[in-house]
Order: sequence, then C-alpha cells, then structure tokens
Amino acid sequence: MVGIIQEQHPDRARLFMQWKQMGWPILVDSLDLLGVMVVPITLAIDEHGIIRAVNPERESIEKSFLNQNYLAPQQQTVNTIKPPDLKKLKAGTAAGTASSWRTYADALVVWGAGNQLDEAVAAYQKAITVEPGHGPSYFRLGVAYRNRYESSARKSDDFQRAVEHWTKALDMDPNQYIWRRRIQQYGPRLDKPYPFYDWVPAARQEIQARGEKPEPLRVEPGGAEFASPLKAFASNEPARPKPDAQGRVLRDKEGFIRAETAFVPAAVAPGESMRVHLAFRPNLQRKAHWNNEVEDLVFWVDPPSGWEVSNRHLSVPNPKTAVSQETRHIEFELKCPPAARPGSVRVPSYALYYACEDVNGTCLYRRQDVVLEVQVRSPR
Amino acid sequence: MRSFLLFTLAAMTISVGDTVAKPPSAEFKVGEPFPSLVLPSLADGKPLSLAQFRGEKVILHIFASW
Repeated sequence: MVGIIQEQHPDRARLFMQWKQMGWPILVDSLDLLGVMVVPITLAIDEHGIIRAVNPERESIEKSFLNQNYLAPQQQTVNTIKPPDLKKLKAGTAAGTASSWRTYADALVVWGAGNQLDEAVAAYQKAITVEPGHGPSYFRLGVAYRNRYESSARKSDDFQRAVEHWTKALDMDPNQYIWRRRIQQYGPRLDKPYPFYDWVPAARQEIQARGEKPEPLRVEPGGAEFASPLKAFASNEPARPKPDAQGRVLRDKEGFIRAETAFVPAAVAPGESMRVHLAFRPNLQRKAHWNNEVEDLVFWVDPPSGWEVSNRHLSVPNPKTAVSQETRHIEFELKCPPAARPGSVRVPSYALYYACEDVNGTCLYRRQDVVLEVQVRSPR
Repeated sequence: MRSFLLFTLAAMTISVGDTVAKPPSAEFKVGEPFPSLVLPSLADGKPLSLAQFRGEKVILHIFASW
C-alpha cells in the first residue's frame, strides 16, 4: 500500500496517519503535479508499474488483481529516483518556454529551500506570461504564495494572491475539485462542503490517550478550516455595545501592530458570502508586543446598509503570559446584498488593543481603523 | 498474501476526501504506466517514487486528510 497526499499542509496528513495508525509510504504532492481532479482515488498497479484498475472493488481485488500474473510490457521505462537537478533546470529556462519555467518553479517549491520561494514565484509568473491559458500554473503559483505566506519570507499580500490565483485556475477549469477545495478550505461556510480539519483535536486526544506524542503541526488549522457548512447565513448580535463608539481612542500612528487582510473568495458575487481573514502582527522592528495584563484584542465591524456580517464584535483572548508577540488572527463573514453592483465597497472596521513598545517600553491603548475594500463581482 | 489483503482492505475503508458524486478519474487509464514522478516522502522528505516498488503489486491511494 502506498499513498499520495494532495493538500496544502502535508504535516497534517502526517498527524492523520499517526491517528489512524497507518504506516504506509506516502508521497507529498501539494502542487497536484499528478493533475488529479478529485480525491480519493485508488489504483491497482502491477509489478511492472502498469495501472490495472482504477477504484477497484474491494471484494474482488484479490481475485481480479492480486492473484493475477501480468506480463512485462515490451518497453519498460527506466525511472530515476532522485530529485531534479535545480541548476540544470534553471539553465533550461534559457529556452524561454512556459514548460521550462514551470518545471523549474515546481522543483523550487518541492525541493528548494524556503528562501527559494521568491524565485519560484517569479518562475511561475514567467510561465504564465508565456502561456497565460494554463490553469495548473495559476494553481501552483497560488500554492507557492501560500507557502511563502507561512514562511519567514512572507509578504503581507501573499495569502490574498494565493486566493486570487487559485480562483483564476478554477475559472479555467471549474471541474477541478482539488483546486476548488483549496479555496473552500479558507472560504465562507455557505460554500463549504464539510469542515476540513475538525478532526485534529480528536486525533490529538486519541493519540495522547495511547501514550504517544502527536505529530507537530507547523501551521495550526483555525477558523475557516474548522468551520462547518451552513445552509443559511448566520448573523450574531454583539454581546457588548460598540466599543469606542465616538472614536476617542488614539490611533496606532506609531505602527506597533500591523493589520493584514485577505478575502476568500477574492471577489464576492451579489447574494453570496465571503470570509474575511485578518492577521494582527506586532511590529518586530520596534520590538512591539502585546500587553496581556489588560483587555483582550477587540475588533468591530460596521457593515454598510444591506450587507450582513456574521459577527460585528470579535475578540482574541490574551494568553496567560504578561507579554507576547504572536500574530493574532480574526475571521468573520460578510454577505453581499443581492442587488449590489460590481465594484469596490468599503466596510469600516477597527481594532482596539494594548501594545507595548520595546522590552520595557511604554504600553498604550490604541485603535487601528481597518477599512476593508471588498470587491463585488458580476454573477457568473 | 491474506494479511496483506486484509491490511489493504482496511486501509481502503479509511478513504477521505469527496465522497459525493464526482467526475470520473479520466486521467488514469488502465493498461498505461503510472506517471513517473519523484516526490518527497511524508515521513522524512527524502525522494520517493512508485518506481521503487517495481517487482511488487501496489495499491496506490491518492487522498487528503480532509
């Protein structure tokens, strides 16, 4: 038994395998180089590497496959089992073809070091310039952007660019469920087929109950990745009144905390919903950090008339330490009015928090206005 | 053989991913070689390929943990 996994975060599959106590060899194909359109797929492959059945019947597999004798094909391919030569592939891009750029980019993402993601992004962009109609290039560029977003080389708009490129890929081939699921993983509950990673807490509990240490996850799933599908948009009334309603709290002009936003999907159709992702990052250049001995980070959304919001009032609880520098994430959903016209819509929102500058520096209560520029697209 | 078969059948019941109606897997054709691809191993990141299993029958399960 051998497996190939198709997901953005391979370490989550490692946890899954540990949970299910499965020890087969698994190959990682986050870029979907195989070109698979949906999972799961099971193949019966004979001893010569020839596919003998696709999704074989479990009841008859012994008779129909395992007990069969297969003749070797006349021409047997010789396959190499070593990673590609990055230098050779880079030299190959001198040909200027989309294929040469794409092959080089693929190798950089799969085999390169983390600091080669900039080069991978540039190589995919070259491939797309040469061949703008190739859907897989957009999907893989999206994977590269998302990988970079989760690395130390992150750029603030990498997550949004990942979503935009996955969306472009899916527009080219709407039957590509692997690509569709990559967007839905982070997307709104009205468009979710199922909760993607809600199994993670139960898996960890059961593994620990067995006396084992759960496999670590480099990126913790959260928010959208745990959310279950909804058939109707749900708006929750705030438990508290609007904080700082008169806007008297001083703005964070010092730049202690930087807010990043991403919208999934990148543009919302009238009558449909989108998930808004916010990341609040302490400014490490100023050695800024959260002050956890006072109130939690609070976020307030003021949707324009006709727009619905899942939660107007959100908060992130402080950890138990007195200070910390972690990135704080907030997610919520917006529903676009059915009569909305295509274009940009401003959704005012703001965050209130206590942040300190430097190690023994001043701790201040600050407000940051975050104007969300939501893109409304035409219905398809 | 029997123990391998039981293991294989058990593993095939733990398939995850989409279980609703889906388009056919047209990209894999019976009688053709499985694409040659070298990918990292989930266990240790080292190169792994289906070619390493030549001489053995393989049940290949392509899946996601969601």
